[in-house]
Amino acid sequence: MASSANSNFSTWEEVRDQLRKFREDNVRCSEEVVEIADSLLADHANKLGDEAWIVYEQLFIASLDIGKIDVASACIRELNIQFPNSIRVRKLMGMRYEALQKYDEALNIYEDILEEDESNSVVRKRYVAIHKARRNIPAAIKLLNDHVKKFSADHEAWMELADLYISEQEYSKAAYCVEELILSNPHNHLYHQRYAEIKYTQGEMPMACKYFSQAAKLNGDNMRALYGIFMSASNLAGSPKGNAKTKKDNMKYAAWAARQISEKYKSVEMRDHDAQVEAIEEMLDSLQVVPSTN
Amino acid sequence: MAELLLDTNIRFWVVLPIVCITFFVGIIRHYVSILLQSDKKIDLQQVSDGQALMRSRLLRENGKYLPKDSFVMRKHFFNDEEKGFFKTQKRQGQVKNPMTDPSMMTDMLKGNVTNILPMIMIGGWINWTFSGFITTKVPFPLTIRFKPMLQRGIELASLDASWVSSASWYFLNVFGLRSMYTLILGENNAADQARIMQEQMSGSAMAMPPDPSKAFKAEWEALQITEHNWSLQSIEEELLSNTVAPEDIYVKDKFV
Repeated sequence: MASSANSNFSTWEEVRDQLRKFREDNVRCSEEVVEIADSLLADHANKLGDEAWIVYEQLFIASLDIGKIDVASACIRELNIQFPNSIRVRKLMGMRYEALQKYDEALNIYEDILEEDESNSVVRKRYVAIHKARRNIPAAIKLLNDHVKKFSADHEAWMELADLYISEQEYSKAAYCVEELILSNPHNHLYHQRYAEIKYTQGEMPMACKYFSQAAKLNGDNMRALYGIFMSASNLAGSPKGNAKTKKDNMKYAAWAARQISEKYKSVEMRDHDAQVEAIEEMLDSLQVVPSTN
Repeated sequence: MAELLLDTNIRFWVVLPIVCITFFVGIIRHYVSILLQSDKKIDLQQVSDGQALMRSRLLRENGKYLPKDSFVMRKHFFNDEEKGFFKTQKRQGQVKNPMTDPSMMTDMLKGNVTNILPMIMIGGWINWTFSGFITTKVPFPLTIRFKPMLQRGIELASLDASWVSSASWYFLNVFGLRSMYTLILGENNAADQARIMQEQMSGSAMAMPPDPSKAFKAEWEALQITEHNWSLQSIEEELLSNTVAPEDIYVKDKFV
């Protein structure tokens, strides 16, 4: 993404398509959005037709993100003229207040919107954002809990709730949220990896090892998962509990992961090649197994 | 049969006016329906019911990726005999009578005003004003079966089936101008009558929200018979055997 930031677009259509791509992929390239959308709207707003308003909204949110309040104010003025009293624009105004840290004004706006349309889940989530911005994590967790009670298929909310719980070190609750995410998309290796990390932190090594393995199975290039397998399996192999067979198996898994990692590093050209390989050799030595035997 | 020669006045006073009238009526209808549009309020309860059902469905489908404890915990949440979500949440039957709900009545009325009424009025008027003209001829021969479709209003047994009467020309326009409307008004415009007809056929314009208590019961049953079958039981072995080095394959292959 970052490499395309400096590329020059030859036509306004390319700029439009790039912005569309940003919207669809839901990526946060706020600086680039502000840079290209501003000139696009200045020169070709009439050519965009109705899409111009979506670009205004995109530019608005991006400029709030990087703190360009003046750009945002210009956007909201245009949007307000075009759509007076629209809930979506009012929500944006609330976001502007949030960016200015005038949280009470923002809350007033959001309350008004919810009175009109109580099923507006985006506005509900803004409340959580305000609490989070005010560093009031317990209140944010409580609100978000209410939210997922009503919108229990809202995966963004579950993800945020998991983050909040982790920041409060409530790992078992965070694990529950990540389980929800796995249910929603069991083919995303990052969810499995996240779950494994939580389990690892909780000290549930067998479970962590299983989910790191699942993540590595779904994406063989997930280095974090490979390291996770190595860590959790070698931990299990060295733990006093467990019978000889599981220890032997875990030793095997750790050796496998270590070999995978070293192969991955060898296959990429690296500047500090030697230092990395040395570190991995050390890691293998710590296992006291020869990697080539099974 | 001798070739018919049509009066050029028919082109200027029948064919083109019918095209223009149908076209502009469609455009007007598009804007009128935008004016009359009332945005539907979504009931919070309905949304959360739908999301709970979706979550339960996901649990059934992807539950095998969760540890057994977590699966049983969620199943318990939904299906427990005493405290389960599907057992305790009682929704009264929401099958409202449309006649007693004023907002539904106005919706129906608006639908009729923008869809049915113009269709009857314009259709009737065109039938009355331009009745009895032969307007055009399709450039290929057709069988006798097409006569009621293409020659409405003209009951001539001896006329070739390729000729199109004015009333049929109107109907051809009604259904044929769809791509013109998408070109001018964009996708999903309200001018397209064919779409409206379809909606009325399937009755989705009046579709009721499904009864949540019935959906809950069905989902409860489906979840009740779902067993947990952990797919990560031997994941490490699977992982190791998947990326095994070529020389190890013979030793590892269990069928050898």
